[in-house]
Order: sequence, then C-alpha cells, then structure tokens
Amino acid sequence: MSNRRPVGRGVLSLLCLAAVLFTGCTRTQPAAIRFGLAYVPQKLDPRFSTDATSSRLIRLLYRQLVDFDRRQRPVAALASWARLSPLHYRFRLDPSRARFHDGRPLTAEDVKATYDSVLDPKLASPHRSSVALIREVRVIDQDTVDFMLSKPDPAFPGYLVIGIMPKHLLERGHDFSAAPVGSGPFRFHSWPQQGLLRLTRIKDRQLFEFVHITNANTRVLKLLRGEVDIIQNNLPYELTRYLESKKHVKVMHRNGSNFTYLSFNLRYEPLQDRRVRLAIAHAIDRAQIVRHMFGRKTRLAAAIFTPDHWAGDPQLRSYAYDPVKARALLRQAGYGPQRPLRLVYKTTNVPFRVRIATIIQYQLKQVGIQVSLRTYEWTTFYSDIKKGNFHLYSLSWVAVKSPDIFRYVYHSASIPQTGRQHASVGANRNAYRDTLVDRYIEQAEQTYDPAQRVRYYRLLHKRLLETLPVVPLWYEEHMAAVRRRVRGYRIAYDGNYDSLAAVTVRR
Amino acid sequence: MFKSWFALAILTSWAAMALIGPLLPLHPDSVDLQKIMAGPDAQAWLGYDDVGRPLLDRLISGARISFFVSILVVAISTVLGSLIGALAGYVGGAVDFVVSRVIDIFLAFPGILLVIALAGILGPGIDNVIIAMSSVGWVGFARLARAQTLSLKTRDHVQAARVLGTKPLTIVLRHILPLISAPLIVEATFGIASVVIAEAGLSFLGLGVQPPTASWGSMIRDGTAYMLVASHIVIVPGVALLLIVLSVNLLGDRLRDWLDVRTRLSAG
Amino acid sequence: MNFLLSRLASVLFVAFSVATLVFALMYLAGGDPVDYMLGEFAKAADRDALRARLGLDLPWYQQYLNFLRGVVVLDFGESFHYRKPVVTLIAQRLPATVELAVAGLLVAILIAVPLGTLAAIRRDTALDRGAMFFSLLGVSIPNFWLGPLLVLVFSLGLGWFPVSGRHGFASLVLPAITLGTALAAILSRMVRSSLLEVLNEDYIRVARAKGLHPFTVVTKHAMRNALLPVLTLLGLQLGALLGGAVITETVFSWPGIGKLTVDAILSRDYPVVQACVLLISITYVVVNLLTDLVYAWVDPRIRVGGR
Repeated sequence: MSNRRPVGRGVLSLLCLAAVLFTGCTRTQPAAIRFGLAYVPQKLDPRFSTDATSSRLIRLLYRQLVDFDRRQRPVAALASWARLSPLHYRFRLDPSRARFHDGRPLTAEDVKATYDSVLDPKLASPHRSSVALIREVRVIDQDTVDFMLSKPDPAFPGYLVIGIMPKHLLERGHDFSAAPVGSGPFRFHSWPQQGLLRLTRIKDRQLFEFVHITNANTRVLKLLRGEVDIIQNNLPYELTRYLESKKHVKVMHRNGSNFTYLSFNLRYEPLQDRRVRLAIAHAIDRAQIVRHMFGRKTRLAAAIFTPDHWAGDPQLRSYAYDPVKARALLRQAGYGPQRPLRLVYKTTNVPFRVRIATIIQYQLKQVGIQVSLRTYEWTTFYSDIKKGNFHLYSLSWVAVKSPDIFRYVYHSASIPQTGRQHASVGANRNAYRDTLVDRYIEQAEQTYDPAQRVRYYRLLHKRLLETLPVVPLWYEEHMAAVRRRVRGYRIAYDGNYDSLAAVTVRR
Repeated sequence: MFKSWFALAILTSWAAMALIGPLLPLHPDSVDLQKIMAGPDAQAWLGYDDVGRPLLDRLISGARISFFVSILVVAISTVLGSLIGALAGYVGGAVDFVVSRVIDIFLAFPGILLVIALAGILGPGIDNVIIAMSSVGWVGFARLARAQTLSLKTRDHVQAARVLGTKPLTIVLRHILPLISAPLIVEATFGIASVVIAEAGLSFLGLGVQPPTASWGSMIRDGTAYMLVASHIVIVPGVALLLIVLSVNLLGDRLRDWLDVRTRLSAG
Repeated sequence: MNFLLSRLASVLFVAFSVATLVFALMYLAGGDPVDYMLGEFAKAADRDALRARLGLDLPWYQQYLNFLRGVVVLDFGESFHYRKPVVTLIAQRLPATVELAVAGLLVAILIAVPLGTLAAIRRDTALDRGAMFFSLLGVSIPNFWLGPLLVLVFSLGLGWFPVSGRHGFASLVLPAITLGTALAAILSRMVRSSLLEVLNEDYIRVARAKGLHPFTVVTKHAMRNALLPVLTLLGLQLGALLGGAVITETVFSWPGIGKLTVDAILSRDYPVVQACVLLISITYVVVNLLTDLVYAWVDPRIRVGGR
C-alpha cells in the first residue's frame, strides 16, 4: 500500500495544478484588443510580402505613397502627385505626415531608398516587376520626389503601393520582418511566437494582439468566449450563420471584389469549341452555390472587375443556369452519352475550395460532362497551372485593382512560352488569343482620358464574356464578427484592417 | 464484452459492403445543396455531409476503399516481405547482410512518417497510397521471416533438401515458409488493422483518395471543419473505422492465442 | 565495449543511409519551390537569381554533397516557405514536440501502470477483461479521430480545454491524451503480462505464503522486477510516439516538429522535410540504441549470457 500512495497523490496534485492553471488561463481578461487571424502573416517587410494577411498588417505599420478609393481609383495617401509628362511624375509628401516609429522624420530620401531597394535585382523582390517601369527615382527636396518612367502607363501611380521604409535602416540591412519600422498608425511591439504578433496603436498606446488560429471552429469558439474580439473572413458559411445566432457577437457583411473564375485551357482541343465553354457556363448553377455556400453579400460575377470598380460595367450579366441549353450545346458540339466529354479539373487542397469544386463537378456531371477532380497543395497546383498542365482550374484574383491586369492575363503576348520553363512573361495561362481583345488592351493603355479608358475596358469586358476564356463565378463577400463590446470596427472595401485605428472597447 | 462472433460479424459486413456495395442503389456522390449538413431522413439514415451527400452511402463506398487497399497492401507486403526475409535468412552471406541493412534503414523511420513522406512525394491518389504503404509494409514481414528462418535453417528436413541439391527458392517455398506461416499470418492480421488506419490517416492528411471518392479518413477530415455545427459528419466514419480496427485486432489476438496453443501442443 | 562500438558503427551507417534516402526522395520529388517563394508576379531573372542562391541550379551530386556537408555541420539551409534557416525553425518547434511527447508518455504511464497492475492482480475477472478491452480499444482508435472526438466533447461540448494551438497547460491536455492513449494501451498489456510472469516466480509465492497483503506483494516485490522490462521497452515505443506526434500535432495545430513536417511535405519545402525526417529518424535510432544498451545492462539473462 505504501508505494501506491505517492503515485495517487502525484496524480491528484497534477490534476489540481491543471485546474489552477486552467482556470487561471480563462480568467485573465486581456487588456489587449485581440484579432483572430486565419493565416500567419509571412513577412512584415513590404518588399517581400505577397500574402493578404501580411499586406493588411503592413498597411497598419507602414504608409504607402498611393492608395485606392472605393471605386479602386488611385488616390493620394502619403503623397499627392502631378503628371509632368507621361514619363515624369512628381510626388509631394503629405506635410502633416507622421515620423517613423524610431523617431526619425520620413523624407523623400526614404521614398527613394525604398523603391531603389525594391528595384534592385539582387534583392529578388516579388514586387519588382510591378514597378520595373520606373527608370529612376529622383529626390528634389525633403518633401518632393520624382519618378521617371521608361514607358508611359496611365495606371502608373497605382503601382506605388509599397510601404515606405526608413533609409538608414535599409542601408544597415535591418531585418524588417523581425522588427518592422514604418510610419503607420501602429508600431511593432513584439512577435514572441509565430502565431502571436503584438502591435501598439500609437495614438493611445492600445495594445493589439493578432492571434493565429487556423481552425475555423476554434476561431469561432474563442470569439464566443471572449478570447479574441474580432475575426474576419475564412469562415464556412455554416459557422457564420451559427455566429449570427449568438447575442454577444455582431456579424457584418460587405461586398467583396476578389474575382473567382473557372478557367479553360484553350490549347486543349475540345475546349477550343466555344459551344463547349458556353455549355459549361450554362451548366453551373452559380446562384444556388452562392446561396448555400457563401454569405449574403457574395455577388455573381460577370467580369474580373466588380460593377462598382471604375473600369467595371454595371450592365454586364453573365450566363444563366440552363442545363437544357447546356446539353443542347454539347450535343451540337458532338458530345453525348455515347461520347461524353471528359475533363480534368484542378484545384488547391484547401477544404473549402475542394467543397466548391466537388459541387461544380457534380453539376457538370448532370449535363453529361465527366470531370475528374485533382487537388494539390499550392506549389504543385500553381506550377501545373503555369505549365498549362490542366483542362479546367478555378482560382481567384485577389486584391487586383489596376487594369494592367488585362494585359497580364488576356493579351496574346502574355501567353507563357511553353518549353522555356522559367520564362513566364505573363499569366495568360489558358493561351487565349483574340485580336479584338489585344487591340482594346493596347488602346486603353495609350489614352489618359478617363472616360475613354472606361469605354475600352467595358468593350473588353463584353468581348471577354462573349469569347469566354474563363467562366466568371462570383465575388466573395467579406465578413467580420466582433464582440458587442468592440466599437468602431468596419470592414474595408478590400478587407483591409485599417479601421482598427479607430476601434474602441467598452470595458 | 466484445465477442469474437461480433467482431466476425462486423468484418463480414465490411467485406460485404466492399463486395456488393457497387450493386446497391447508392448515391455517394450525389450533391444536394438544400441538404447540406442536414440530419437523418428517409433517404439518408445517417444524415448528410458538407455538400449534402448521404453519409450512409459514402460510408459504404468508403468501406470498399479501405477493404481493398488493406487487402492489397497486406497481400503485397506479406508475399514480398516473407520471400525476401526468408531467402535472405536462408542464403545468408552478402545477400543477408544487404537485406539486413536495408531493413535497418527502413526501421530507422517511424513507419507512418515514411509512408506520409512517400505519399506526399508521389502525390495524391489511391494507387500511390498503395505503393507508399507496400514499400514500407514489407519490412516488418521480412524481419520476422528472416528471424524465423534463421532458427529453422538447421532443421533436419531443410538440411536434407539442401543435400539433395534443391534450389534455395524451392527450399524456402516448400520447406521454410509453411513452417513459419503461423506468425506471419498473425502479423498479417494485425497488418490489416494498421493499413486501415494508415489509409484513413493519409486521406485525413489529404494525401489519399481524391474527391469526390469517399474514404473514411477524408470523411473525418471534412467533418472536423464543421464539428461545431454538425458533429455527425465526423462521428459516423470514425465509429465505422474504430469498429473495423477493433474487430481485426480482437481476432488477431484470438488467432495468436490459438496458434500459440497449437504450436505448443504440437511441440509438447 | 565491442558491442558498443559495433552498435555505434551501425547507427552511423543507418544515419548516413537515412540522410541519403531522404535526399534522394526529395530530389526525385521534383516541383519548383521558387514559384512558391516569389509568387505570381516574379520575373524570370529574379527566379534564376533565387535558384542560384539556393543552390538549386547545381547538378544533383553537387546538391547531394552540399546536403551531406550541411548534415554534418547541422546546417540544413533555408526554408523555402519561411525563408529562415531550417535549424532555427526546428529549434523553435522542438520544445513543443518534446513537451507533447513527455506529456503523452506521462499520460500513458499514468494510465497503463495502474490498469495493467489491476488487471494482473484481478486476473480473469471482469476487471481484467475490462482493462484489456480498454487496451484493445486504445490501440484500435486512430488518433486523428480520437483527437476530434475529444475536442467535440471537452472543448466544444464542455468548454474545458482549447480546441487547438499551444497556449498554456490547458491546451496540452487533449493532445497529450490523444498521443498517449495508444501507448497506454500497449503498455498496460506489457505491465500485465510481465507482472503475471513475475507473480508466478517462487519468491512471490513465498511472500504470499508468509501472509503478506496481496497489494504489498505486488507493489513491493513484484512491481520492481516487472517494471524493468516495461521501462526498457518504453524506449522502443518512443519512436512510435514520435510518429504519432506527426498526426496528433496536425489535428491540434500543435506547433511542433510533426506539424512542421506535414506542412513542409504538403508545401514541398524540401530543406525542412529533409531536416525533420532526419531528426525524427535519428532520434528514433538513438533511442533504440540506448534502449538496447540499457536492456543489455539491466536484464540479468543477457548480462550472464554475454559473459
């Protein structure tokens, strides 16, 4: 008996310890405002970040020269600009701008240093190609900086969205990802572990914690228990509805602008037949998918730009669900029960995407198209897409604001060269060629008259919908859920976190 | 408590689901958006999954995957492993040295880790799952067969056959493998349990079957995302998985005891 | 001493082969990590620059030699995904895995020893059968289902523990139980059978004949001798525990080596996969070696036989 007791006591005290630690954990009411993130920010260095979470956090930490209004037109942010000539832009920094977080003033030198750094080929910044048309950045005085271009581009100021970094730290090779220093409304506090980032709001020293919670169930639970105050996006619709039934939480929705599409490989012979593509467009019941799978602000798409984008077209309508017509079109194209159309549909292995793909697969099966689904993790998926190794794939264009996307995606000169593996010049991955589209793109690029540009882009949209290189699916909504005690959180038009600058908490 | 006949009944129904499943009027891939995550009704006694497919139908078609994958992998592993192990043990020398080192290397990995890595590299798909698991699975059988063979090698009848000039392969097939089959059969029985778990595990990690094919592992994975609002999606395939593995293990235990007793009796 | 040296040599050989195998697998796997790192808008020149920096433009034997050199000096290069040295990543993740493994081991022992002992003492009673059924259940329940099930009951239902992540003691409980259950099941059987063996020995019969309380007999006399083989065999099971950690960590988003490995496999982050698989395997091999040595040292039969 005597030997047994210590073990028993040990277990008991362990349980007590557990109880103490456990209740201790839940009782601590954090002074910080906590934001639950679905993804870990990868890089807080504006020169390297490519993921949406980092970009949104970077907006809090750094300021960029140019931003966008809700119609996605470039507007002055840290600087206002004047076009002196098509190749020469002059930017005047906002005189009331904040200093860097380390106390140094932000000057034109810092702007030059930031862009020179991005343009340096040795840095291998993923943003370099988007600003590669900059020939030179010239400091005029402390508040004035000139950008000299190598070719005219009416969309140019819209490319200057990289957060400005302090020159003296850039020169020293400071690790901005480990300790970001910018001039935004939030200052870096600490990043004790990958999944926990702390920022301080400068105006009132309010601490913010960005907690990474992959699992959607967990994010919802933590919100309900008050362990986080705000969550945004990346929630299955079922969980959003579940949250809407809870009274301590407010759920918000807002129109989104990320364009989801189903892409055809036009190198593949059966898909070169427009009737086949049209049949597929008619076979997908987008309205029903959106009703059952997405929040109520998700909109059906007809083009890469939303109707409220300055280059969008509110009149444009995509193809309606019409399985009878789809079957008829397939029959005309020579397919039927004896000779079914077989296609391979690739998607990422993100569960929600697989769910959508499964539904589309089923709907296509209903009109007699045999689709086999292949799910891959991102790298493999993406490399297949770029090599043109697919029949169908679906993907979204995220945070696309500038119309240079048209050349990048639809111009015949942007078809990646097959055979030369690394010579991707563009993202026309379905090998779409249309002389009319090429011409509209070129004409729009050459005019600085806003009305003219809008006209060309609307023609472009219409032509793309007719020729159907991709089936436009939908623009997913943004949703956020906040605890009732949190005041002032608004979902931004592009889902950024800017309104955290104004958020307050009722204690 | 959990009787052998019950285990047998479960395994029989597993086999039955796998074999006659295709003949039944099932709709495992039939999507109905109205029924997303709905509970049981007359058409679907176990409710619906995250795109409104009937869970029972998916359960039955998932049984087919787990049944055939485990039978195939265990068959390949047993045959390959036993042959390699027994031959190496019998022939000895350089062959045995090389085989033993290869076995050592494979045993240096926790089995599931190597399977995950292999499946990850080969890419998703049920054929790759079978390849990955077989290329790891044979090792256990080889080690067992080799050890058993070493202890049998000096038996009279083996020696006699050798003196008569019988080829090594023939000796192994005729005189050694029949004698060591009992422990190999027990190992194979437990092998079925681990393969069932491993297949589901790979599908759980997204390295197994491709949608819309149903595997119990992928059903569990899909279900975990919605546990807060629809827990039946995760419970249903898990219970099935547990029952199968439990039954296999139980029968494996019984089989081992029985064979143990038998060998002891025949020895005594 | 010879025994020790030959075991060491074989461990070194296995380690080298494992490293080679790991390299070969990753090399043959193909895929292009540069796409992943630079993203959509990168230019060909930038890609080539990065490729050169990572040494991906070299012929395979050069890459292999670089890899081996790296293994020796513990430099596994830079993660494609995190863009950090792999060693740093592993150092960050290792404590979580060690914590989970130790906790899982603890759970296993805390369940297995009492359960196995009770089963042995009350042999062939309902208690014994119940304990053994539990053990059977434990080895049969896959941890990728046990985990979600525990979450369903204790996190979503009762709200006692977090669903996932690693924030304090409470978040360790469910992963540790998930990881420890299978081991507990195996261990409790081992405890029972080795205790039963010892209970049949003469000195125990003598102790019993002296009229000592059965519990005293078991705890004072039998347990000590029965636990030795169990403890040494525990070492062997640590490898299985590490394997189980891979899935358990994925289920609970536990930021350890296992989760790192799975993520890296899925995103083709070769340097990380190589280092993690190597680390786990070498740990496994070394623990096995130690177990062998301890076993040889502890077990009198082997010692006597060796002399």
